[in-house]
Amino acid sequence: MEFEALAARALDTATARGAEYADVRVEVARSERIEVRNGVVATLADGATTGFGVRALVDGAWGFAAGAELGDGGIDVTAARAVEIARASASVARSRIGRPPERAYVDTFATAMRRDPEDVPLGERVALLLEAERQLHGPAEIAVGRAWLDLWRTDKYFFSSIGSQIAQRIRQTGSGVAAMAIGDGDVQIRTYPGDVGLYQSGGWEIVEEARLLEGAPRIAQEAAELLRAPQCPSGTFDVILGSSQMSLQIHESCGHPAELDRVMGWEANFSGTSFLEIPLLSKLKYGSNLITIVVDNRLARGMATCGYDDEGTKSVASDIVRDGLLTGYEMSNDTARAIGRESNACVRAQGWESVPMIRMCNLSLLPGDVPFENLFDDVKDGIYMESNRSWSIDDRRLNFQFGCEAGWEIKNGKRGRLLKNPTYGGITPRFWNACDAVADERAWFAWGTPNCGKGEPMQTGRTTQAAAPARFRNVSVGVGYGG
Amino acid sequence: MDSANASERERVATHVLNLSNADQTEVLVTSGDSALMRFTHEMSNQNVAAADVGVSVRAILHGRTGVAQTNALDERSLRDVVERAAAMARLAPEDPLQPELPRGGPARAPDGSYDSETAGADAAARARLCDAIFREAESAGYWSAGFAATSASGLTVANTSGALASFDGSDASVNVKMNAADSTGFGEAYSTSLRAIDAVAVGKTAVEKARASAAPRAVEPGSWTVILDPAAFGELFTYLADHFSAQAFDEGSSFCSGGLGRSYFAQTVTVRDDYAHPLAPGLPFDFEGQPTQRLALVENGVVRDVVTDSYYAKKLDRANTGHALPAPNAYGPQARNLVVAGGSKSVEQLIEETPRGLLVTRFWYIRPVDRKRAIVTGMTRDGTFLIENGKLAGGVRNLRFNDSIVDLLGRCEFSREQVRTGSYNYSLVVPTAKFAEFNFTSVTDF
Repeated sequence: MEFEALAARALDTATARGAEYADVRVEVARSERIEVRNGVVATLADGATTGFGVRALVDGAWGFAAGAELGDGGIDVTAARAVEIARASASVARSRIGRPPERAYVDTFATAMRRDPEDVPLGERVALLLEAERQLHGPAEIAVGRAWLDLWRTDKYFFSSIGSQIAQRIRQTGSGVAAMAIGDGDVQIRTYPGDVGLYQSGGWEIVEEARLLEGAPRIAQEAAELLRAPQCPSGTFDVILGSSQMSLQIHESCGHPAELDRVMGWEANFSGTSFLEIPLLSKLKYGSNLITIVVDNRLARGMATCGYDDEGTKSVASDIVRDGLLTGYEMSNDTARAIGRESNACVRAQGWESVPMIRMCNLSLLPGDVPFENLFDDVKDGIYMESNRSWSIDDRRLNFQFGCEAGWEIKNGKRGRLLKNPTYGGITPRFWNACDAVADERAWFAWGTPNCGKGEPMQTGRTTQAAAPARFRNVSVGVGYGG
Repeated sequence: MDSANASERERVATHVLNLSNADQTEVLVTSGDSALMRFTHEMSNQNVAAADVGVSVRAILHGRTGVAQTNALDERSLRDVVERAAAMARLAPEDPLQPELPRGGPARAPDGSYDSETAGADAAARARLCDAIFREAESAGYWSAGFAATSASGLTVANTSGALASFDGSDASVNVKMNAADSTGFGEAYSTSLRAIDAVAVGKTAVEKARASAAPRAVEPGSWTVILDPAAFGELFTYLADHFSAQAFDEGSSFCSGGLGRSYFAQTVTVRDDYAHPLAPGLPFDFEGQPTQRLALVENGVVRDVVTDSYYAKKLDRANTGHALPAPNAYGPQARNLVVAGGSKSVEQLIEETPRGLLVTRFWYIRPVDRKRAIVTGMTRDGTFLIENGKLAGGVRNLRFNDSIVDLLGRCEFSREQVRTGSYNYSLVVPTAKFAEFNFTSVTDF
């Protein structure tokens, strides 16, 4: 396997200096970002980075060091530094939680892909975005049009002192368009697809399926219409959320609070803690009986889909909420052991330079059995909301307020006029217990988020929350605009 | 590469410039070594260090721009990154507004922006800071979560117009959240010098905040007189920074688009972008190598200026203020060292003059709700207090606010003391702020 000699030297150095366990992750990453803004290619960038990170365990405490110098000197310095850092951790620790993983794997994994983006000429990639952005400029009110493309290609090589050797080739792709309309002292934005574009694991087929050229004129028209649309009312209404907004709702109010490191106080000073405390496991009625939320890092097209996480744990599927009851967490080796469970492979690092930590991976709400169009049937007075534009939730993940790009009035079961600035808020478990319908699998979609932030130093994670539209009763609507 | 070795970075940058055949070429060479010990429950849960270098090449061919990056410094990789940037540029459409790369000029870093002891701090030094905080937590019977961080960073910018600028900086920081039975407290400190970081004092501040906010009671949301500690005000003000970008100003999405010279705020409000403020980290030029101006953005409530880079200076026929971000940049120029001027009163006086109000230690998860009006929402955290008759009168449960930052700055006054706040990777200098009306919309369960 590539980088075997580098890894062997790093592991030898770490163990010779006193590490009871060590692992090495080498990453070779390429990224391409193209962004067109008002007819100009504002970004055309091709990035390449290679380096490695070493984790060392000394006396029950971890150290991590990373470097980009792949020669013997750089390997020795970085591996020794990881041990020195672990020793410093141990020197002041009042308790110890670190233990070596128990299983080793020798394996490979590669993202399923129909068409390698590298087979699409760069000129063709740029031309697609220029044309998609041009399609946004129909209405006169569009002041800013944007079209973008991200291609990520990461080759990871994981080696551990207990014998793991894992090579993975991950491919992730995303694209989207957004139109900003300005008029009468107001700014309105519509984005397509979803609220950040379409991001999934795979190749160029993800860009083709985004259908940017078809979506651009429609969302530009909606952005312009939003300037003239009435303000979303404030009050208590039944609410139907589109699938991309449901993805955000899951992400913020289930995905993050179910991270076991956060539950255990590991993020307390920054991202916060969680209301999903360990004594509530198998007791808390998180949502209505319709709510089943699972982690599955083998999900087709999931942004977090891989064979093994960055601790070398094999990907599995597990429940977080089953029929409304809190049943599990997103876990690492150490945190899972602390509650008597096994890791469900939710550990990721942003890149070679970052320490692996618990990240929200593919965490999805399973579909219900109601055809999407029938969600509206018995809503007398409600709001349908689509595409997130604002998200805020407290540091225990209870009090949330989310805003969407567009809303539509629902009167007597019919979707009516466009409304601007729709917002809604609530307290997490009360909100999820107010869910009385989830649309079926035909409306279920794997929405990827390319920019989930967590940790200090901050790391950006790529995650998927698959979801179908759902209906919630008696929701506080219009907060922030007089509600 | 030695992170403090500007001459080595300049050698690489000059060599890469010589490899390029583009009409214009810009090279950024970065070096960094950063380390952070994170802790919870008086043990380290993440203790990390990373060293890296970077070379970013911007090639411009007939108004067409491409950018490529690498972190490998061998000859083959450097030639490859130059070729990739040129290949990108050849495929980009021509931008008629593409300006000449700036020629740069003298840009001297303020004294104290680099401290070798801080840049070279080892894991044991960071552990000692954490241990001091652990002891404060243990004596109070609380548990603590936070970090101690040190870093060294170097930047060199060179281009074919003749700009050549280098900067080496160091930084150190600690922050801690103290966790009691039903309350929390927060403290933080930042400096370019590790010696200026008093971890014991930070720990004591956080302990006192947690102690004083114990047994929080619920108060009704609504309009309150509010005093924001610097950590809270700094985070709030960050969400106005982008409005001072020439890009937002030009597009019409800034609150002050078309409004230079207009009074938007109370006369108490003066805002500068000032890399040379004694508390600021001190980078004296931007990522195009242009010297950064020390700008008055707001004077006595009147918006005077926005920040530009070479692109927006040409587009708007304004001076280049030296606020470019690294290319490629779809976000436009940005203010990097915001400083809100202090007022005439002490923090104690601001509290004493408040018959009834709230004091907020820190905010969490502020997000824009309405871009143009700068309406944002967010939650209080880590020590929210009732003020009654000019005195702190115990903790209150956390609240959600929704308000316009522009409107809030129309009814505010500031303490004379200013501090640096932000985080380990960004900074701003602000006083304590008092607002006559601050709109809270709901309460949370803790």
